[in-house]
Amino acid sequence: MITTPSDLKTYKNDLKRALQNQFLGATLDNFATAFKASRTKAFEGIDLDTLIAEIAQGKDEAIPYLEELFAAFKARAEAVGIKVHIARTAFEANSIIADIARANQVKKIVKGKSMTAEETFLNDHLEKEGFIVTETDLGEWIIQMRHEGPSHMVMPAIHLSRKEVAELFTKVTGQVQDPNDINGMVKVARRELRQVFLEADMGVTGANFAIAETGTIGLVTNEGNGRLVTTLPRVHVALVGFDKLVPDLKSALRILKALPRNATGQLISTYVTWITGPTPCTSSPDGRKEMHIVFLDNGRLALARDPLFSQALRCIRCGACANVCPIYKLVGGHNYGHVYIGAIGLILTYFYHGRENARAIVKACLNCQACKAVCPTGIDLPYLIKGVYRTILEVEGKTPVKNRLLKRVMGNRKLFHFLLRRAYLAQKPVAEGEYLRHLPFFFSSEHGFRTLPVVAKTPLRDMWERINPRLEKPRYRVALFGGCLVDFVYPEQALALVRFLKDHNVQLEYPMEQTCCGLPAMMMGENETARDVAVQNLKAIDPANYDYILTLCASCGSHLKENYPKLLGEEKGLGVKVEQLKAKLIDFSSFMINVLKVKPEMFRKSGKKVAYHAPCHLCRGLGVTREPRELIMVAGMEYCTATDEDVCCGFGGSFSVDFPEISAELLKRKLANAEATGAEVLVTDCPGCVLQLRGGMDQKSGRKMEVKHIAEIIGE
Amino acid sequence: MEKHEQIRLFKERAEAVQTSVTDVTGLQQAFLYAIEVTKNQGGSTIAAPALGPEERSQLAELCRQAEITLLTENIRDHIGKIQTGLTLGDWGVAETATLVLDSTSEDVRIATMLSETHIAVLPRSRIKSDAMELESELSELMRSAPRYLAFISGASRTADIERVLTIGVHGPKELHLLILDEGQEQSSPVHDVQKAKRKPRRR
Ligand code: SF4
Ligand code: SF4
Repeated sequence: MITTPSDLKTYKNDLKRALQNQFLGATLDNFATAFKASRTKAFEGIDLDTLIAEIAQGKDEAIPYLEELFAAFKARAEAVGIKVHIARTAFEANSIIADIARANQVKKIVKGKSMTAEETFLNDHLEKEGFIVTETDLGEWIIQMRHEGPSHMVMPAIHLSRKEVAELFTKVTGQVQDPNDINGMVKVARRELRQVFLEADMGVTGANFAIAETGTIGLVTNEGNGRLVTTLPRVHVALVGFDKLVPDLKSALRILKALPRNATGQLISTYVTWITGPTPCTSSPDGRKEMHIVFLDNGRLALARDPLFSQALRCIRCGACANVCPIYKLVGGHNYGHVYIGAIGLILTYFYHGRENARAIVKACLNCQACKAVCPTGIDLPYLIKGVYRTILEVEGKTPVKNRLLKRVMGNRKLFHFLLRRAYLAQKPVAEGEYLRHLPFFFSSEHGFRTLPVVAKTPLRDMWERINPRLEKPRYRVALFGGCLVDFVYPEQALALVRFLKDHNVQLEYPMEQTCCGLPAMMMGENETARDVAVQNLKAIDPANYDYILTLCASCGSHLKENYPKLLGEEKGLGVKVEQLKAKLIDFSSFMINVLKVKPEMFRKSGKKVAYHAPCHLCRGLGVTREPRELIMVAGMEYCTATDEDVCCGFGGSFSVDFPEISAELLKRKLANAEATGAEVLVTDCPGCVLQLRGGMDQKSGRKMEVKHIAEIIGE
Repeated sequence: MEKHEQIRLFKERAEAVQTSVTDVTGLQQAFLYAIEVTKNQGGSTIAAPALGPEERSQLAELCRQAEITLLTENIRDHIGKIQTGLTLGDWGVAETATLVLDSTSEDVRIATMLSETHIAVLPRSRIKSDAMELESELSELMRSAPRYLAFISGASRTADIERVLTIGVHGPKELHLLILDEGQEQSSPVHDVQKAKRKPRRR
């Protein structure tokens, strides 16, 4: 039985327990590394961006017409002798399948792997009705015997060690199994399941595709159990979500090009089976199989009409969004989803399995965008996750205190900045040098993993007129979008920039009316507030007045670029400004390399060994990967590559406040990887990451590397 | 893509999924290959359900000489005893080293799923660069139901225990593809394997 906590406290306890599981942590970490390599190799020679765009487009064209596609499928399938059913709910699907089994005097049922059947808890239902059900996919068989749900959509038993499997198989066979003889254990499964296949009266499968044009279903498997399930028993029932409908074979083949590559790094899965109509079957009295297809709605058809969430129906269940998720890697699928797991699981759980199951897990997202970057159907997963979070807040009508505060404070720039200035005074008694040694009372002891920085005495905006030189004939006019952290905590990062740009004859402006970019509001589900500050910023910085809008904060930058269009794109007049802003927005390294075209001669070669942390919002949000690394080298430093450079540091804004243990663990790994390079300095290009990394460095024992924003180190 | 380039790619990709690929110049050679593999593995039965009458008697004669039992129908009755499933493939796909096999006949499915080794003959001329090239042919087949089409790319495999790749969990433990160059053997009466295939029985 699957249980998922509905309150944060229980959930956090579960997470803590999962963090203790060393086998899980190591397995998922190795898996993530191996997956990354094999996926890259599998897509060699393929224009992946185009393929993703094509798949997304194909899906988006089909989603509004699922009912029409279904009608076409049904007509075709019935013409060739398939019985087609619609199940509006999970219970209905289970009942239909049980009825089919009863009508055909079925006793024993074999199953191929199907997430849709997991969704409806089909096995539980059939067993309650007295049928004997056996899963035949090895991983599914293992977890069925352990009475667990899958912990991964493609590798359901990835959370188990060989030892645990050996213990299980020893119990099943009555013979001691050697955990190190995996081949031997697979043989046990082959032997045991072969017999089950031969005795089964009915086979149940899912389907990866339902092709409307020909009434064909497509099944993708590696083990070949799908072929046996659809061949040996006299009855075949396929349980298929409406979202699996595609117009034609071409659409299916296009998806097939991406699915195995993105799921397991295989070019294709071993068996892909296309079934059209009831085939010959000698175990059936009339020599022909009895074939049924049950289409499951369970909210899909309504989801298809949702302007935001319909995207979720593009999902082809490759599982990759879990593989790359830093949180999944730490805690595993049983703690990162309900039935569906990983990023898509956080979303689908709300729709298919309800608010209670979604409430706690949907909070656990760093917005690191790793999932989005790997999704073969281009789903904006982090955005939809926030959408679910927001929806739950709305439905429950319980606005957390911090949300109410945020709304009041952030909506009013003057008040917000007044409070930030006050924070400097308030922290005074506890501030000690650069760091707050004693944490403010509202943080619990779990936050001791990282020291928080102090708010600067003089924010950037207050010193701006003093420090910013007016240039006679500047090459470029550039507006600096500061962001709260640079403005109020790390003005020195901007000081470095000012000095540097002056030398390059670039006029920098700091439009004073600018305020917080609004990302924190959006992360808390407060889209109205996020919209209001976005309008304020666009008023403050009219992109038409500048050649570039530069930001030192990758998070602000990617929010401006990605979310402003979502927040304001449709609004009259503002949409155009947002597009201009997007076109002119640039990060520090890209400005240096691509605009100023800096050369090694301009720098003193220091040979300083530097490790780099790629901020999520820079490498994925803004898609900038080459420039910072190049800049480090151009500026005369030695760039030392670290493991997992592009994995999140664990900051995630308010995430690190809600889930300090996860944040701390990610930070620990990040620092260890950086240190392993032997570099003296850890460089990054987002003040949020600087906050996290510096704070962690300060807390840890042993060698401490310097942590710097790239603008600071280049300016040296 | 040039033919020889397709074949090279096919072989390279096949190797990556442990599929063994051998060139043959005629069906006779393919049949002898199957018999030899069967014997080497200590087996004594070949299931070859979808041959035309001429090829069936040719194979039957070779099997008789080699003391191998040849099964050509009612394969279900022999589950557990089939060493080798021998088929004539419909197409090959170089990109993924895939054998495309019309498996509408239940005998073909059982022979290729419940044998220890699957050997398929694949005419060189029917190898395509990628599956998209077969879209219209496959759609056409799907339009005449019932139809059970299989893409087979390697032997049955799993990585469900600690992600360790293990071969042969349910289906055959080995897949052998024999690429038939029909152009090279003038004496062969069969220039197209498709002609050698018996039409799947309709029920
Ligand atoms: S954004 Fe990052 S943390 Fe959130 S689900 Fe995606 S990968 Fe996981
Ligand atoms: S959301 Fe995307 S990455 Fe995740 S399982 Fe679905 S298709 Fe794969």
